[in-house]
Amino acid sequence: MYTLTGVTKLYHKDRRTIPAVAGVDLIVGDREWLAVQGRTGHGKTTLLNLLGGLDRPTQGSVELDGTSLGALPEAKLTRVRAKSIGFIFQTFNLIPTLTAAENVEAALIPLGTGQAERRRRTATALESVGLTNRATHLPTELSGGQQQRAAIARALIKDPAVVLADEPTGNLDEDTRDDIIALLEHLWRERGLTLVLVTHETSIARRAQRVAVMTDGHLTIRHESANP
Amino acid sequence: MFFVTYLRRELGRRMRQGVFVALGLALGVGLVVTVGAASAGVTKAESGVLSGLYGVGTDITVNGPLWITTHQYCMRAGCEAGPNCTPKGCHGKPELGPQTKIQTPLFDTVSASTVAAVARLHDVAAATGVLTFVYGLKHAQSGNYTVDGVGTGHSPIGALSADRVVSGHYFTAADSDAGVALVDSVYAAISNLRAGSAITIGQARFTVIGIVTGPAGTSPVSVYIPLARAQALGAGLANQVNLIYVAAASAADVAAVQSEISRLLPGDAVNTDGSLFSDTWPAPSGPASQVTGSLADAAKLTSDLGRWVSVLALLAAFAVACLLTMAAVARRSAEFGTLKALGWRTRRITAQVLGESLITGILGAAAGVGVGFAGAAIIAAVAPTLSATDATAIGSMQQVAQNGSAPPVVSGPVSVPLSPSVTAGVIVLAVLLAMAGALLAGAFGAWRIARLRPASALALVA
Repeated sequence: MYTLTGVTKLYHKDRRTIPAVAGVDLIVGDREWLAVQGRTGHGKTTLLNLLGGLDRPTQGSVELDGTSLGALPEAKLTRVRAKSIGFIFQTFNLIPTLTAAENVEAALIPLGTGQAERRRRTATALESVGLTNRATHLPTELSGGQQQRAAIARALIKDPAVVLADEPTGNLDEDTRDDIIALLEHLWRERGLTLVLVTHETSIARRAQRVAVMTDGHLTIRHESANP
Repeated sequence: MFFVTYLRRELGRRMRQGVFVALGLALGVGLVVTVGAASAGVTKAESGVLSGLYGVGTDITVNGPLWITTHQYCMRAGCEAGPNCTPKGCHGKPELGPQTKIQTPLFDTVSASTVAAVARLHDVAAATGVLTFVYGLKHAQSGNYTVDGVGTGHSPIGALSADRVVSGHYFTAADSDAGVALVDSVYAAISNLRAGSAITIGQARFTVIGIVTGPAGTSPVSVYIPLARAQALGAGLANQVNLIYVAAASAADVAAVQSEISRLLPGDAVNTDGSLFSDTWPAPSGPASQVTGSLADAAKLTSDLGRWVSVLALLAAFAVACLLTMAAVARRSAEFGTLKALGWRTRRITAQVLGESLITGILGAAAGVGVGFAGAAIIAAVAPTLSATDATAIGSMQQVAQNGSAPPVVSGPVSVPLSPSVTAGVIVLAVLLAMAGALLAGAFGAWRIARLRPASALALVA
């Protein structure tokens, strides 16, 4: 799925150059669940942004199924994100003026899907995350867990090849956190997704097949799980 | 449908900001409409003042070169150059003499057949001829007055119409060769004339049958007599006229008719509303400058100050709309970053923002037109009655006097009501300006969205 070769991302602040990601080499296989762990500010989110084509590396290459994301023009990169990559954010990032169903439906707009088809698939997606009875509720009318379920439905409605989750349980209480992780795991298995999940919690990271650790922008593989 | 749903929800969420922007645009648009209405009202008032000078139902007047010297008149009357033609006039012509009252046509004359030729031109609805001249002592600075020899039928165009009679009665068809006269109300007041009074022009005696006044009470002509009697007053004036009033078939034909007449009568001045007297005398440009008084001041006010105020208000509204839109886009950076992460193209997001701006612009335009109507109504209710004096009549006659022919004609100031009118053109202009302001604001927002990097935008939430 992913091949990262010598990937570096530098940020410039005043006169300083900060390597958010430094010389990362990584291969993520199809249908693999990779957890990326590390302390705040060590490059986890930057790595995820590079994998999702939300940012471009300063050096090196990020290839998704053999296509270098950094070399694509913006329009094509946007198209790749629309079709192949689902995002789940720590703060849910639902559009506040759209209902849960409309937020999920928004992911299909770039694909040009017809209205009837969009609604059918939205209903299916909400059902898969147990949110059918909250379809017409605005985000402010949903709990944190419900909002994250809606975000998961939004990420999965387009049947992406890869789902990138950035601290999906970071804003949730413990019980809800477990529910969300369990849901993600279930969907990962059911759909055969490639899942890259960023977390700072070891208990969550250990549920993945592999755990990588980011330290000062450098990535090391710490743990290979027995999780089939 | 998703586009509309998203747009509707966003406008609802930011109702207060949207209303603020719409009100700003409404104020700018309203000022444009109000100033336009006031300007239209002033123009209408000016036209009313000038129509008293310009003639009834007339689109074009035609006159020959100014006849400024008695010598030229002598030549026309048949006196050849030489001792028979002197500054005192033609010897043996009783109507001319150094101490006698003279009749000096203002313009060179043409025959009545020329009037018929003009009337036969394409797109000419009607043409009528008038013989206008100044009667009085040569070089006298007072006591002289202008006389128009006019047709006595009820013509749709010409120097005079029956609805201007304020006492007595208008000419009848039987008066075509009668010794009767209509007198302007100002001159009648000065000379203590009324219906039944007698006046003498040259050797001829005329009975006043009525008193007339112009639409705005201004007219350079003091006395109207039948054309045939005017032509009989001076030698060489038989069957002659020196001013032709022409009505075009429609307003769109005026320019074409003007060209046709110029080709038919080269060397003659062919005047429309915008060029009255300009070919004859070095006159100020356009009717607006021929009217003085508070009406002219109002015209200047709406033209200068009013225009600048409305332009400044519009610019301020545009600036506020742009700034608020950019601020809203900045606040929604994370939202737009998320949409980009979902694969929304920049132009799709931009279309959303532009749509929101456009709706705000439409609301602002609608409110602005309402504000404009209200402003026009307020002006109509509280505006003082304006005064106007037709300076052209006075100025032009002064120039004639300098050339030794005729003194100024005194016409007093008149009251002119100001009736602002909101025209369709001004409404369309105002709506377009509001739309332009809204789209400009949307464009600024779009520019900001285009520069938005998804990773940076999402970091604002994290």
